Amino acid sequence: MNSNEIISSGILEQYVLGFTSPEENADIMRWAKQYPEVAIEIKAIQFAMEKFAQANAIEPDPSVKAKIFAKINEQNLLHQTAQTLPEMQSTPVVSMLRNWKWMAAASIIVLLVSATFNLVFFNKLTSVNDTLAITKQLLEKEQQHSNELKNDWDIVRDPNNVLVSLKGLETNPNATAKIFWFQQTGEVRIDASNLPLAPAGKQYQFWAIVDGKPVDGGLIITGESGTKYRMQKMKSFGKAEAFAISLEKAGGSTSPTVVVSIGKII
Amino acid sequence: MNEIKYSEEELVQFLRNKDQKAFSYLYDNYSAILNGTISRMVTDSGLAEDILQEAFLKIWNNFSSFDSSKGRLFTWMLNVTRNLTIDTLRSKGHKKQQLISSDENSVSNFADNSRLPEKYDSMGLKKQLQQLKPELRNLIELAYFQGFTQDEISKLTQLPLGTVKSRLRAAIIELRKLVE
Repeated sequence: MNSNEIISSGILEQYVLGFTSPEENADIMRWAKQYPEVAIEIKAIQFAMEKFAQANAIEPDPSVKAKIFAKINEQNLLHQTAQTLPEMQSTPVVSMLRNWKWMAAASIIVLLVSATFNLVFFNKLTSVNDTLAITKQLLEKEQQHSNELKNDWDIVRDPNNVLVSLKGLETNPNATAKIFWFQQTGEVRIDASNLPLAPAGKQYQFWAIVDGKPVDGGLIITGESGTKYRMQKMKSFGKAEAFAISLEKAGGSTSPTVVVSIGKII
Repeated sequence: MNEIKYSEEELVQFLRNKDQKAFSYLYDNYSAILNGTISRMVTDSGLAEDILQEAFLKIWNNFSSFDSSKGRLFTWMLNVTRNLTIDTLRSKGHKKQQLISSDENSVSNFADNSRLPEKYDSMGLKKQLQQLKPELRNLIELAYFQGFTQDEISKLTQLPLGTVKSRLRAAIIELRKLVE
């Protein structure tokens, strides 16, 4: 076959797709050496197939590269350890009894096997320990989270609490909050999760109306993500007619500027 | 990423000498493509990751068996990866039927994959490949990436073997026109 016949026969496409037999492969290799245009044609077909593969590239997880290099280095280490064996055997134990030689060789092998196992198990142990540490951390975080939720829930279902719903005023209809007031102890908790985030530079302040006058009850945090969803402890009040929330400059004020939400104690 | 650029000959030379820097370059440039190839056949991402690791270890350890007179480095790497994936799937008792049933899905899954490396301009390539007739694209997909033999493709597609062969060739010729 001449090169044109080879190229137009379709066998080169079959070859690149991996469908040719070993005998055909040998022919193709021979042709590729004989006719440069056949070699060029093969590479052009391969190039097209590579483009097809490239179109669907997906970046692997970034950890894979490190894992591969760790394995390669581990292999190298084992390889080096194995290479030291012949040198050690050639140290002059020659004058000793035959048995000694065998025993020395055997003990070196035992040592080597043991060293290999140590290395393998040490690596395994390290990775298991790392995983364990991460799992422990996660568990502690989850436990903390679940304790926090339980504490909140205990407050909600405590029979001694007085629930005061703060309704948003006309200007801020969305500024609602729930107060749990324990009259015996005066303790006040607020669930501020429905309050909109305070605008930049502003903060919500909590007030109790005592004898017709607003008394500062502390600042409510809504800024950092997550924190506002927790029950917050405010200042304690032995008596109060109503509770209110106002929007103040960061740091709070001595008297409420813009009251956004209020609820009377019935 | 890497400031150093290697020509294919240099890269091959360095890899023969077990140069880890060259291997790192090889990984940075080809891992996404090999991973994409594996992911077409393997849906379990953990298994796909294992195969990718194994493939690169094979490439590193068996580099001496690469013969540049037989073709391009990249094609060799693709073949190593593809064969390893097929062997792994077979040894794990995966049936080919599973491959078939996941075939259509896996093609469409990859179409909306957003984690593509920019270095190959995959989006541009993808657009080019969309000009390839779907039936031709599917044939390449089955033959080259899913590891089906032409006999199997003939049974699957209900086309005579001769037609499968001629269409595969036509598909590659079309593909070459699009990417050259």
